[in-house]
This record gives sequence, C-alpha cells and structure tokens, in this order.
Amino acid sequence: MKTARVIYEEGGHRWLALVRDPNRPEYLIDTNEYLVSVGDDAILLDPGGNEIFPAVFSALSTEFDPRKIDKLFASHQDPDIISSLSLWLEFNPQIKCHISWLWASFVPHFGGNQDTFVPIPDGGADIFVGGQRLQAIPAHYLHSSGNFHLYDSKAKILFSGDVGAALLPPGEDSLFVEDFDRHIRHAETFHRRWMGSERAKRDWCDRVSQLDIEMLCPQHGAIYRGAHVRRFIDWFAQLEIGIVRR
Amino acid sequence: MALANQDPGCELRRIVRINEEIKSVIARAFKINLMAMNAIFLAKRAGQSALGFGVLSNELRRFAMDLQRQMTQLRETTYGSVATVTALVKQARLNNVLERARREATGIGRGVIDEFMRGRHGFAHARQREQIGALNRRLSQMIADTSQLVELGSVLARSAKIEAAYGGPFSAALMQVSSDFENTIGEIQRSLASLSKQREL
Repeated sequence: MKTARVIYEEGGHRWLALVRDPNRPEYLIDTNEYLVSVGDDAILLDPGGNEIFPAVFSALSTEFDPRKIDKLFASHQDPDIISSLSLWLEFNPQIKCHISWLWASFVPHFGGNQDTFVPIPDGGADIFVGGQRLQAIPAHYLHSSGNFHLYDSKAKILFSGDVGAALLPPGEDSLFVEDFDRHIRHAETFHRRWMGSERAKRDWCDRVSQLDIEMLCPQHGAIYRGAHVRRFIDWFAQLEIGIVRR
Repeated sequence: MALANQDPGCELRRIVRINEEIKSVIARAFKINLMAMNAIFLAKRAGQSALGFGVLSNELRRFAMDLQRQMTQLRETTYGSVATVTALVKQARLNNVLERARREATGIGRGVIDEFMRGRHGFAHARQREQIGALNRRLSQMIADTSQLVELGSVLARSAKIEAAYGGPFSAALMQVSSDFENTIGEIQRSLASLSKQREL
C-alpha cells in the first residue's frame, strides 16, 4: 500500500501526498497522488489508474474519509492520471471531475456522464475547496495538448503534473528532492521526450516564475521544495525538449 | 449460457464461437438457396417426370430463405448479448479491484469498502442472474425453432431424393442434386447441435 504523507498543514487546510507503494508491479509507472483538504471538503489531484486504486484508496483512507471526496482534478487525460474515475464514481456518483475542456468528451470513456465533468477553459479557472481558492494554471502541451497544473496560493504549493517528474531508481526514491544535481538526471530524459513544445515551456516558466511557490509537486518522482523549486524552473527553461535521442 | 459464476471473459469468447457457427449456417443456407434455384431449372428441363422434384425444390428454396432470416435474428440476439456480457466483464474487473482495495485497506477504508460491497454484490448478482436467464431462454427458444425448421428441410431433402428416382433420364442428375441438399442440411444440423452445446456449456 502507498503511504499518506502530510506535506502541508495549517489549521484545517492540508496537503496529503500518497506515495511509494512497495508492492507496485514494476510494469506500472510509479505515481504520486495528492489530496487537498480544507475541513471536510477535499479534492483529489490526478487520482491515478485503475490498477493502483487499491493502494491509493487504502492510503488515503488512513487520513481522510474517502466518501467525502466530491471533487477530482485531472491534469490531463492519460490512463495513469484518471482511469480510476469509474471506481471513484462507484463510491460517490455525484463526484465532479475538473479537467481541460479538450478532454471532457474523451475521458468519459473511463466512466462518468454529462454531469460528471467540469470543463476547464484554456485560460484556466478557480476551484474552491472549503472556501480556499485553488487556481488551475495552464500548462498546455506539457505534455498534453489540454493540460493544467493546480496552484494553492495559501499553501504556496504548485501541483505540476508531469512537469518536474522523475523516474527514480530503487533506493533513490525519497519524498523530497535532496540532492538536486543527482535527482535531475532522472528527470532529464523524461522531460526531453515528453515535453513537446519549446514555446509552451517558455510560457509556463514565465507564468510560474510569477507565483510564490514553496513546493512543486509532480505526479512522478520527488517533490521540489525551497530553493530547488527555482532551480528546477531555471533548469527546465534551458532544457532542449521535444526531441528523440537515438 | 450458464455463466453466473464463471469468468465473464470466457463468455465473450463463447459468443465469438457461437457467432462463427451462425455465420457458417447462414452461408450454407445461401448455398441451399442457389442449389434450389438450379434444381428448379433442372426440374423444368426434365419436364413431367420431375414435377414433384420441382415442387420440392421450390419448398427447399423457401426453407433456405426462412433459415437465413432466422439465423440473422439469432445473430442479432447474440450481438445484443455482447452488451450484457461486456457489462459482466466490467463488473468482474471492478469487483476484483475493490476486493484488492478491501484487503489493503485498514480502519475507515476497510469499513467503507465492506459496507459498499455488501450492498453492491447482492444487487449486482441478482441483476446478472436475471439478465443471463432471460438471454439463455431466448437463445434456447430460437435454436429450438431453428432446429425444427431444419428438420423440415431434412424431410424435404429426403423426399427430393425419392422424387429423383422418378426423374427418368434426368434421374442421376436429380439424385446428385438431392444428395447435395441432404449433405448440406446434415452439415447445418451438426452446426445447430454445436450451437446448442455451446449454449449449454
């Protein structure tokens, strides 16, 4: 089962990271899921695929009543992001899934109906959790053509989907980035191949540079915090992307 | 289709096999139709001595068309059952994931899943049994009706063989055609027997 780690808590406002399942089969990419809760209201970010639902559900329920989850945020349409949708809907058929308008008619192939989806326009949108404003920040073409990240200005946390992701080898899978130079080697190939647009990358770097970010939380790999956030943005800005290395 | 407690994936594969059998019967029915048309021309050429054979060929042609129609309906029913079985496959997969979640969960998570699965299982099983029962009855009835029709075709083919004996100089040719009828209908009977068996598995 995954572990639920509290990465931010102030008053009733909390960020939980659901990470590192030791029983995960090797053929499945490792993923991080995040739960943002304010009091009894909560949103689950990139809830993951069908296969890891048991691990996510079990870890989450050690810290939060899963029946109270009525909002999902999907950064994009990939199966490791949102193919568990039908299972979450089993527990709460009223659940709402916030996702780019681009995917609002594709993702229903994983489950849900016309009432399930809240399409996010290209420019982004606000999502409120227990009165706390979270901002869906455009990250189109990084890597998906309809892609959003989620920023919590109070916690100063940016959930960055696949941006910042790293495929960590066994033994180097700490929750937070400790040694940036060592860590970033595991992120380089991923970003070069998955991120397809230089212009989108520059736009994103400019956009997030204006945000006050204490933690940058990717969907795969370790969390960047403190000075590592800026280092990552600078590293990404100069990285050549959208190429296939042979 | 006694599938309530079986792997629903098997049921999908079984439907594919049933559909292949249906296709082969339809192809044979089409062949009988063509053979009957040729037999009608042959009987006309044979004249007075093959009048009975001509009547029977006409009946065989009508039989072939009825059989094609019936098999098409059977195929549509089988296609319809794909939706039911697909839902079962999905259900089984979902149950499997939930069962894994139940094993992994502790505390409140375990309680939530237990409560959820209790309600879900009773309802889902009852509904599955009902759907499968209805499907089973409908397929049985259709196969039984088709078998009766084919029995009639078999009688017609045998009668045509008898009539061929009175075909004078055309007797050998008429005998050959009626044997072809008999053989093809025999093949259809074997296909239907196989269909019945597939359904019962």
